[in-house]
Amino acid sequence: MNFTLHIWRQQNATDKGRFETYKVSDISPDCSFLEMLDILNESLINDNIAHPVCFDNDCREGICGMCGLYINGRPHGNDDGVTTCQLHMRKFDDGDEIWIEPWRAKAFPVIRDLVVDRSAFDKIIQAGGYISVTTGGVPDANAIPVPKRFSDMAMDAAECIGCGACVAACKNASAMLFVGAKVAHLAMLPQGQVEAHERVKKMVCRMDELGFGSCTNTFACEAECPKQIKRQNIARLNREWIKQLFAGNHKPSSHLSNH
Amino acid sequence: MVLDSKIPEGPLSEKWTNYKTSQKLVNPANKRKLDIIVVGTGLAGASAAASLGALGFNVDIFCIQDSPRRAHSIAAQGGINAAKNYQNDGDSIERLFRDTIKGGDYRAREANVYRLAEVSGDIIDQCVAQGVPFARDYSGLLDNRSFGGAQVSRTFYARGQTGQQLLLGAYGVLSREIERGSVRLHNRCEMEELVLVKDKEGKERARGIIVRNLVDGKLERYSAHAVVLATGGYGNVYFLSTNAMNSNGSAAWICHRKGAAFANPCYVQIHPTCIPVHGDYQSKLTLMSESLRNDGRIWVPKKKEDAEAIRTGQKRANDIPEEERDYYLERRYPAFGNLVPRDVASRAAKERCDAGYGVGSTGLAVYLDFSDAIRRLGKDIVEQKYGNLFQMYQKITDENPYETPMMIYPAVHYTMGGLWVDYELQTTIPGLFAAGECNFSDHGANRLGASALMQGLADGYFVLPYTLQNYLADQITIGHIPTDTPEFDEAEQSVRQREERLMGIGGDKTVDSFHKRLGHIMWEQVGMSRNEASLTKASAMIDELEDEFWKSVRIPGDIESFNPEMEKALRLADYFELARLITADALHRRESCGGHFRTESQTDDGETLRDDENFMYVAAWEYQGHGKPETLHKEPLNYEHIKIATRNYKQ
Amino acid sequence: MNNKLIKLSSITKKLLVALFGTFLLVFLLFHMCANLFILADDGGDAYSSFCHFMGTNALVKVAEVVLLGTFLLHICLSVILWCQNRGNRPVRYQRPSRTKTAKGSKLAIITGSLLLVCLLFHFYDFYFVKLNVVKGGNYMVKTEDFVISDPSQEVSEEAQIIVMQAIQDQKISKDGRWLRQLSHADKEVLQECFPDAAFEPDFYNTAREKFSVWHIVLCYLVFFFVVGLHIRHGFESAFQSFGLNHYKYSRLIEVLGIVYTWVVCLGFAMVPLCVFFFK
Repeated sequence: MNFTLHIWRQQNATDKGRFETYKVSDISPDCSFLEMLDILNESLINDNIAHPVCFDNDCREGICGMCGLYINGRPHGNDDGVTTCQLHMRKFDDGDEIWIEPWRAKAFPVIRDLVVDRSAFDKIIQAGGYISVTTGGVPDANAIPVPKRFSDMAMDAAECIGCGACVAACKNASAMLFVGAKVAHLAMLPQGQVEAHERVKKMVCRMDELGFGSCTNTFACEAECPKQIKRQNIARLNREWIKQLFAGNHKPSSHLSNH
Repeated sequence: MVLDSKIPEGPLSEKWTNYKTSQKLVNPANKRKLDIIVVGTGLAGASAAASLGALGFNVDIFCIQDSPRRAHSIAAQGGINAAKNYQNDGDSIERLFRDTIKGGDYRAREANVYRLAEVSGDIIDQCVAQGVPFARDYSGLLDNRSFGGAQVSRTFYARGQTGQQLLLGAYGVLSREIERGSVRLHNRCEMEELVLVKDKEGKERARGIIVRNLVDGKLERYSAHAVVLATGGYGNVYFLSTNAMNSNGSAAWICHRKGAAFANPCYVQIHPTCIPVHGDYQSKLTLMSESLRNDGRIWVPKKKEDAEAIRTGQKRANDIPEEERDYYLERRYPAFGNLVPRDVASRAAKERCDAGYGVGSTGLAVYLDFSDAIRRLGKDIVEQKYGNLFQMYQKITDENPYETPMMIYPAVHYTMGGLWVDYELQTTIPGLFAAGECNFSDHGANRLGASALMQGLADGYFVLPYTLQNYLADQITIGHIPTDTPEFDEAEQSVRQREERLMGIGGDKTVDSFHKRLGHIMWEQVGMSRNEASLTKASAMIDELEDEFWKSVRIPGDIESFNPEMEKALRLADYFELARLITADALHRRESCGGHFRTESQTDDGETLRDDENFMYVAAWEYQGHGKPETLHKEPLNYEHIKIATRNYKQ
Repeated sequence: MNNKLIKLSSITKKLLVALFGTFLLVFLLFHMCANLFILADDGGDAYSSFCHFMGTNALVKVAEVVLLGTFLLHICLSVILWCQNRGNRPVRYQRPSRTKTAKGSKLAIITGSLLLVCLLFHFYDFYFVKLNVVKGGNYMVKTEDFVISDPSQEVSEEAQIIVMQAIQDQKISKDGRWLRQLSHADKEVLQECFPDAAFEPDFYNTAREKFSVWHIVLCYLVFFFVVGLHIRHGFESAFQSFGLNHYKYSRLIEVLGIVYTWVVCLGFAMVPLCVFFFK
């Protein structure tokens, strides 16, 4: 198969960036999208045409969440429920023109070409996307039974790979699906309910600070999520937020806290 | 070099308890004065950094990806073993210990393995408390599945994404420590040099690292009282493997160059169930979880004509009637059937394909068939258990595994070998510790399925927080270590020189083209079966390829910029040396054991034949300089507790 | 006040938009039911007494203020969110998005803005008349207000003619309580003679007049179509924002949303259509 590629090239964060056009030929339909880019890079180096195209990738089996390209107007390209590395060229037609852009969002600045900085996601998790246990001193794993239904729903939410496609797809560059998935995952489990209020408060405030948008319920995130995380997780996030709004703060009285 | 394994006194089951009660500790006020560097954010690294940070140490953690959550532990699918005996099927610490020793073909250190089995239960408790959504049954209690090399169900799992969930659990607690300020995260940084500093007695200790900031290519210096390496295995030396693209062995190799012994490099695990190779352009191989062997049956046609017809596309798998199928694992190993350990299953597949029974267009594939399971359990249950794996298979191959059998073939997956460590996980360099896949300690010559996650987390959560304190207790008076010293200058200089040398070659071939060729040599000559001739040949070929690499590789761009080609070149340069050591180790070990199969040493029916009299030791290699043969040191393996036997999965 | 609104967390803002939106949804249903009185075959008596109640009851006045505030807050918050969201992608994608999305939600800000414009016209026709800001349409007044208690009171000839004419044209309601269908000019004249008479807008006849003009009917139909788009998004969206979306009920909420949208839009659209075609 042959393709014409229009690839976003950007030297660094401050460069303005532009599209460059390249052609690749004799691509096997079984080739993955990133392998096709490998072939392009190989030829760019061999023929000394340009600096190879930089793009993030790692596991290439759809789980690490490192890869992410905006291909022909869709994050992770024209296939549902896959990451860019699991997108195969058989999904395209011979002779197609393919436009490749990086994720674009204020919170995800471009590092080079198609590589963006997603540490904002880490910062959201750092705000509270965990259960605050330290190593040791925990009860036996079977001490607290968890209804299978809840455990399964927690797992559905926990499948998020943090690739950022939700932000890339959202017209507001909102991270609500990402935050919702983590909040829902932990809220479904008895272990996570202990600090549920604090968690949702901190994570949402951090999300707002970092320049992610708000949710306007267009569900582009759900449509493009490679792990098919559902909008119900955003609803749960909203619910947890409301609970937190009404919970109020308890300040320990001073004579107690002095002990 | 002296290999002191520092195994504590006492009966096997009391060694760890004895160690913990008599080790030195650091008081809370002093912990604040001690810095620790952790390289790698996989299960071992993240769990270690989080635990150490929570204890009160100052931790700096480094990862090459954009986030700690991307480490390749995330790709582990099947599960994690633990001797909980929740199923009441006769499991115990002792049995997990014995299974692991036997699975490793009696080439692992007893005390380490016993400790691993001992803390395995705590790992599950810890993970559940972190909110890891393990699979549960309708009672709300945890569910288990069985894995290769075990006759009990002790594997805890979270669908087909156990590694992901465990890593996210560890990433969560790590994130908490980052927020608290006890751990500082350095992402997109790759370790390029280990800095050794002499103490007052003139003893060299690991005191810091030089990292390349992958965003701008600048070199940065970090110092600490101890360095923990948790950088995973070196499987990518084979180019095609189930490892991630960025997984590499350089950090461990850098330490090896600085004096850390490298143990058992020839023990490489070939995983039996991977999606077969289908083209030159292929960049990596995708694993299909071992758990599939719970319900899938592996077969090839009984007749060569049928196999030939399938290869040419005249027949399909479903055209072969039941009686014409050879379920060769069930035939050869009635007791364990499709659930034999990985090395055994891999070799059996290779044996069939080499004998001309392979399927797929290349003839390098066997079938993994679920039609029985679908008939027995119904499609829904099969989908519930393996749905995501089936979907992944379909996305990659464009074939529906519910209708036609999957095609699988072995691929490089895990490296049992790694930096030599003692009972405390300390390498031969004082102050340098290694955890997880990058050390050699627990799996002997072959790792059982679902044990890698167990080992990584055991090291990070439950071993290092103790053993590291034992080392650091003597370091409390040192104070913060400055980075503007000659040792750091020199280390940085050497990295810069290396980069400049690579950049200066200005040849005409890409890094990947060399890596592919190296991988090809390794797979063909030092792969699933090896012999003196192939290994000698490999050694010469590697030397030749390395020469060519240093003459004609081309690295575009600048040193001080975001430059993936430079990163790959630095890693590949180390792989040549590592490949040579793997070959040398394989050549010297004239026996077959676990993942190391020497064709000269096999039983009449093609099973591995160990030579316990001559090779019951850990081979620890000492670096002697570039291109020079390394020196072998032997750590004898003394089995006091376990009775050594031939590994038998037939009865 | 505004500063505080801006500083609220994104979820709280959205939650408030949904809360006010829900209030408006309820109001809309109420408004639609009221409109249906126009179609009652009683010459507008029921509708007129309803309008009278709405125009004079003190509680309704309070409710009106609340409603107006709700409108303003709903709009304000939506606009703030929209402005804030616009800044989150400084470099836009060069290729148009091909992601499948809920169009109603994506266009909510546009349908909302359109609604605001339509609403101003609607207010011009009806609500502002009531507020006496705009002078137009028809007026009505209670017949009892014309009882002349003071014999010295003078009634101009003009006024007499208007009243006589009205009686002749059967502008008195069946129960005899109302004199209706008075133009603004008539009203002015009568007001001079009877300063105590409480004139009220006669929405029944105003509506009938307006809805017999085809382009006004068309405008209203378009208006209700846009309303439909907006509330089709709003209904489900409100549930989502309240956190009331669940795997088990999501389908139910969707169906309810569709039913609600059709009921409200058809209910509203029926009035101009029936008036135009049948009366």
